[in-house]
Amino acid sequence: MNWLKQLFSRGRLYNDLSHEIQQHLEEKIEELVAGGMSREEAAHAARREFGNVTLIKEDCREMLAFTWIEALWQDVRYAARILAKSPAFAAVVIFSLALGIGANTAVFSVMNTVLLPPLPYEHPETLTTIWWTQKSNLRSDDDVPPIGDIADWKKRSHAFDDIAAVSISGPETLAGAGEPLQVRVQHATANFFALIGVQPALGRVFRTEESQEQRQTVGFQTVVISDALWKRKFNGDPGVLGKTFRIRNAVSTVVGVMPAGFVGFAPWDEGKAIDVWQPVNPESAEYAKRADHWMMPVARLKSGVTLEQAQLQMDVVAQAMEQAYPESHKGMRERVVTLYDALHQDAEDKLYPLLGAVWFVLLIACVNVANLVLSRMEVRRREYSMREALGAGRRRLIQQMLVECGLLAMMGGLVGVLLSYWGTRLLRAMAEHLPGGESARMNGRVLLFAVGLSILTPLLFGVAPAIRASRPDLNEALREGATRTSTGRRGRTHYLLVIAEVALAFVLLVGAGLMINSLLRMVLPSPGFDPANVLTMAVNFPDDQGKYLVRVPGKDLDKVSPKVAAYHQELIERVAAVPGVESVGMISILPPFGAASATFSVLGHPAPSPGHRPEGFLNEVSPGYFRTMKIPLKKGRYLEESDTPSAQWAVLISETLADRYFPNENPIGKQIMIRHESGQVNEDQPRQIVGVVGEVKQLGLGGAHPLLYESFLQQPELQGNAFLDCMGTLVIRTTSDVHAHEAALTTLVKQAVKEMDPDQPVTDISTMEDVLKKSISSYQSFVIVLGVLAGISVILAMIGVYGVLSYYVNQLTREMGIRFVLGAQRRDVFGLVAKLGLTLVGAGLAIGIALALGLNRFMSAHFWLYRVKPTDPATYAAVALVLASIALLACYIPARRATNVDSMTVLRHE
Amino acid sequence: MKKSEQRDLFPGALEMMILRTLKRRPLHGYALVQNIKRTSNDLLQIEEGSLYPALQRLLKDGLVKAEWGISSTNRRVRIYKLTAAGARHLQREVSSFERMLDGITRVLARGES
Repeated sequence: MNWLKQLFSRGRLYNDLSHEIQQHLEEKIEELVAGGMSREEAAHAARREFGNVTLIKEDCREMLAFTWIEALWQDVRYAARILAKSPAFAAVVIFSLALGIGANTAVFSVMNTVLLPPLPYEHPETLTTIWWTQKSNLRSDDDVPPIGDIADWKKRSHAFDDIAAVSISGPETLAGAGEPLQVRVQHATANFFALIGVQPALGRVFRTEESQEQRQTVGFQTVVISDALWKRKFNGDPGVLGKTFRIRNAVSTVVGVMPAGFVGFAPWDEGKAIDVWQPVNPESAEYAKRADHWMMPVARLKSGVTLEQAQLQMDVVAQAMEQAYPESHKGMRERVVTLYDALHQDAEDKLYPLLGAVWFVLLIACVNVANLVLSRMEVRRREYSMREALGAGRRRLIQQMLVECGLLAMMGGLVGVLLSYWGTRLLRAMAEHLPGGESARMNGRVLLFAVGLSILTPLLFGVAPAIRASRPDLNEALREGATRTSTGRRGRTHYLLVIAEVALAFVLLVGAGLMINSLLRMVLPSPGFDPANVLTMAVNFPDDQGKYLVRVPGKDLDKVSPKVAAYHQELIERVAAVPGVESVGMISILPPFGAASATFSVLGHPAPSPGHRPEGFLNEVSPGYFRTMKIPLKKGRYLEESDTPSAQWAVLISETLADRYFPNENPIGKQIMIRHESGQVNEDQPRQIVGVVGEVKQLGLGGAHPLLYESFLQQPELQGNAFLDCMGTLVIRTTSDVHAHEAALTTLVKQAVKEMDPDQPVTDISTMEDVLKKSISSYQSFVIVLGVLAGISVILAMIGVYGVLSYYVNQLTREMGIRFVLGAQRRDVFGLVAKLGLTLVGAGLAIGIALALGLNRFMSAHFWLYRVKPTDPATYAAVALVLASIALLACYIPARRATNVDSMTVLRHE
Repeated sequence: MKKSEQRDLFPGALEMMILRTLKRRPLHGYALVQNIKRTSNDLLQIEEGSLYPALQRLLKDGLVKAEWGISSTNRRVRIYKLTAAGARHLQREVSSFERMLDGITRVLARGES
């Protein structure tokens, strides 16, 4: 602080010094005069003995060490003046840097909240999860292990302090306490909270003996709720402990409230906050069959045990498990990964490619600016030579240039931060599914990052030109004509920089192009139905024991109550009677959200081998579904109301299924035996294929899958996979614009549902068009972000091409006058400039193609592409064409200018 | 920096002499120069002005402090005083200088014999 005080009072300090030296001299003179010298002689002698006053003052100033700051300030003012004189140059540089810095800052602001913070639990570095993978295929298909395995691991491995588990999370209805409420519920083992080191803020967590058996046998369980639910549902009442509500008909008593901010985590649903935790006991006999894969282990490494050591142990354990349970465990192994990696997979997959892209943009911006600065340096060579001739040190010259660059970078950074405000908003849409993504925003750390970039960038783009320009060959620069040849060595650096820019821009553009191509292939083709004027809403039953399902004791089966079909039937009839409804249908799972996995055997075909059963994706529908959705019938007939339980059971298949499994025969009339894969239970009786319908994007917009449709009226009473029965989404086609009917319809349907069962919520109300849009919104926003970045890089590269060619034309001007006089045609000059432009862009494209092909592996690993290969020649060609034509425009303008040069002015200037 | 060192006997010598002189009593610049010159029997021919950069450095390092005062010849001058840190610094410098001198003397003595 002291030196700062001194810095601002330095004027006074310098005055003091002058006064002091003056006094010194006068004292000396007086003494000498007193000794008999004349005043004049004495003054001379005093000065002689004192030494060079100015130099000494300078030395003193140097001692106080303000000189560099003063010089800096001088340089800053000089730089500001110089830049103000060439606003176009300054604007282009600041704009380029702002784009580069802004893009990086925006991506960093997302990474800052999503990727950088460690997991907010005790010693997060020792938290791991254990995936179940096939030995032969290490990286792909991470699955969660059978729940029963956790107890074995605890016994057989010594790498972990403890192993807990949490389930995949799902929406549930919280009933029996006022208005029914949709909440996100997760199963957790009793040791989960202690293992990650989170204590409840109120009450306690559940105990091991309070497992789900209680829930199933007596319909009672203890639960822990989140702070958010506590505040939302119970208004933060401290007396909440002991209160009850119902989840899937199990009376749930609140025993604890987790602290504020604790939202938990679930596999594959990283960003979603959990509201209710209910207990599960992995050692329950229920999981002895080792067929339940719905819980993710959370294991804490013993202190000092590394991930590798734990993996080695688990490899041994895996062998033992294979021998103990050959049927379920053959060929499987456990893969130990940090919990952090497991929960951030999706975020890393999205953010790292983006980080790469924004670095490309920054690099292009820097190359661009380096080029511009270099050109300017050359224009200002004479100025530098002059200053050097006047005694400016080389260091000082470099410093002055770096200050100019630094000033530009700071202003670029400032504008960049403003741009990143907008950019962060764009990114947030993409990142909303990532943990912490929705809270991405500007903060101190992000600003610090932007400042750091602003300091780094001038070093990237400024140093080389500064060093070069500070080495002016005095003689050459002072001889006016020497710099005027067009084919100097100096041009080469410019050319290389422009080639690099074009190449980098090409790579980014290819990346964006491939993804845009994928997106178009998803969006453009019809989803297989007509989504216009269709309103959808889900009426999902709780699929737990009790009201609609009864668990069959001792078997992996549910007994479906006849109430289910009756309820659906009545609901459909009621909705159909609502005014404005043209038709109504129902499907278990709305496209494009999925289907149940099933396999089947064809009666009359040879029995399939166990691993190769024909497979299809199954949904239950109401007969009116196809007409409402306008799904075209290709062969046979639709399902009808006449397909009753007592009639021959029917099934509809999709074209893909027909083509795949009945390639050379007519599928209509064939009988198939369907087996639900979860639970692996055959249906009671075969179904006859009555029709083939058009392809529907049932499992996401990317892909065609073999589909099966059953009527909800023809369902076996006992099911291994009863969840389809309990799920239903209404699709309602309105007579006119759906938005005009939406509010009224919603109220009427809700009213009808309430009359039928007051505890039954209606959820996910949305038009079909919005459903489709939303299903790709995350991917789409990723593509938009990448497209914007690619666009920016192209603009920057074109500024580079344009700048270099303009520079070239300027250099040519003189030469051209002579050429014209010597009889050259304007056409020739145009050709000369165009040739250079094309050569540069061509070289850039060639290198860019090579680079993009080299990055091919990375793209296929990190960019989710649909029906597009990372080497897709059409995309490459299109991108090259786009880039080349924009580049041509960038070439054309300077080339035109070159031809307009008046030969006389040029010669006169000479 | 370089220039002042070249004028010195060796780096730090001038500073050491200033500190030593100020240890006896506070002085202003002119008196300080005269004092050093006299004490060294005019053996050390230093430019009088070279004292000031050295004083600035000592001021900045907090080894001396300065106050405006009136000299014996009735001038408004800056009077320099040794600080506690300066006294410690002097002690360290002197002892290390003595060790060095001791070493040099030994080498020179051997050369003679």
